[in-house]
Amino acid sequence: MSQLSVAGVSKRFGGVVANRSISFEVEPGELIGIIGPNGAGKSTLFEIITGFYHPDGGEVRLDGERLTGLAPDVVCRRGIARTFQKLRPFQGLTVLDNVMVGALTRTKDVRHARERARELIGKVGLGEKAEAYARTLSTGQRKRLELARALATEPRVLLLDEVTGGVDQRSIPDLVRLVRTLHAGGLTLLVIEHNMRVITAVAQRIIALHLGEVIADGTPDAIARDRRVVEAYLGQAYVP
Amino acid sequence: MRGVTPAVIFFAGAGLAPLVVQDAFLLDSLVFILIWGAAAAAWNVAGGYAGQISLGHSAFFGLGAYGAAIFGVRWELSPWLGLAAGALVAMVVGLLIGYLSNRLRGPYFVLATIAFSQVLLVAASRWRGFLSGGEGIPVPFRPGFWTLGIADKRVWVWIVLGLAILAYVVAMYLERARRGYQLAAVREDEDAALSLGVPARRLKVAAICVSAALTAACGALWAQYVGFVDPFYVFSVDLSLRFALAAVVGGLGTALGPFLGAALVTTVETFLRGQFGGIGAGLVGIYLIIYGCALIVMVRWAPQGLVGWVRERWPRRAVAGTAP
Repeated sequence: MSQLSVAGVSKRFGGVVANRSISFEVEPGELIGIIGPNGAGKSTLFEIITGFYHPDGGEVRLDGERLTGLAPDVVCRRGIARTFQKLRPFQGLTVLDNVMVGALTRTKDVRHARERARELIGKVGLGEKAEAYARTLSTGQRKRLELARALATEPRVLLLDEVTGGVDQRSIPDLVRLVRTLHAGGLTLLVIEHNMRVITAVAQRIIALHLGEVIADGTPDAIARDRRVVEAYLGQAYVP
Repeated sequence: MRGVTPAVIFFAGAGLAPLVVQDAFLLDSLVFILIWGAAAAAWNVAGGYAGQISLGHSAFFGLGAYGAAIFGVRWELSPWLGLAAGALVAMVVGLLIGYLSNRLRGPYFVLATIAFSQVLLVAASRWRGFLSGGEGIPVPFRPGFWTLGIADKRVWVWIVLGLAILAYVVAMYLERARRGYQLAAVREDEDAALSLGVPARRLKVAAICVSAALTAACGALWAQYVGFVDPFYVFSVDLSLRFALAAVVGGLGTALGPFLGAALVTTVETFLRGQFGGIGAGLVGIYLIIYGCALIVMVRWAPQGLVGWVRERWPRRAVAGTAP
């Protein structure tokens, strides 16, 4: 049985169809890249999986249990965590407190949560910033913070909305390494990413969306050669 | 997440003051500082910690005041029971307002809370039969602790000190406990909190309910101390502003801040009224203008409140309660 199942999910906003009957299965431990031009429906799909939007049709299941209709906080406790495309750290809290909020979803013990948070902050490379307020961090650091915070909720499936977007070039390799480490640890990941070099390097499988529909689903190589993907998104010039 | 030493000094000072101070005026001021401090701290639970800014908290204060008064006057029961009943009703109303907070955000929520207190004001001032309408209810003096008929102001200081400490303890809980961290997350960014598994809606409602109950308790003790419940005062927007103001001046979302804010605001207000108030001074109401200017200065140069102002100047290296 697949771990995450998206079956016939549709969502429209007035006359705009954001998602049209999207279906795919995710096996445990997979790292799937989701690509597509702006407005393809990638973020809407994430909002639906995490319970922030309710789909007009279709459903999402995690390990066979239906998630559709549950509130976002319940979806998180069921085992799906996410980061936001537009980063949303708790600005007025320290890095440590930010991550503790995530950890406290799994433990009632504040001291235990603090230890766990420190561990994760170290893991994402923010160890020295633990006591700094989130508002003082750079974009790259905020991405790491959101990652640590999401990981603290001990997800089975992690959804990353743009890992490298808005991050300066030098920080990208570190972030990519971090994603690889998480994947190597057995975590299932869905990653929205615009940087094709990054996504073809880390993903085992890529799902391409265009105008709310899945237009291709396959290995990075196959996707890069797919005529429709090239036309809709990559352009003729792209050579992986 | 700071140490409690300043708070211990503050509360110990207030508790020991009646042993030294004899002056009725000073003791009277101390009782009010503690009541307004506790009410501001109660407001702070919703406004500061949960980020649900309300300008209708006088609704809860009034419910407590009426609870104590009605139990005493109409049924000749203990005002303590009235306090409990008032707190209970306030919690139910808090549920309603909490529900609103999940529907309305920002200024719309603020307006809804104001409207709520005004609805209660109209209801209380029109209900002549039971609540004596706009005339208000005089609270009879029945000697005894159980009936809260206490002439000795020193005892009053200790009674309201108990409530003040309770409000402080609730705030400390919110600084250190799991629910406090989660509430801070809701205040900062509700959607992000939800995405991390925080039951944001329930927490907001719970915070508003606790805040409402504490505020009602303040109202009940205030009614017994002052001896008269006037609907136009206890349900007024002025009163709601007083709570919010003390919390903001002292420091939003800090445990001791509202008490320091209440002490400062009450003292300045009393002083200015004494100096510039009254017909004798020639300029009736000038003290309000000075008071307003002082507040503007405060908000301009210490927007974080007293506690924030102090922390900025004397930052601590290690945060208390954090494992090394």
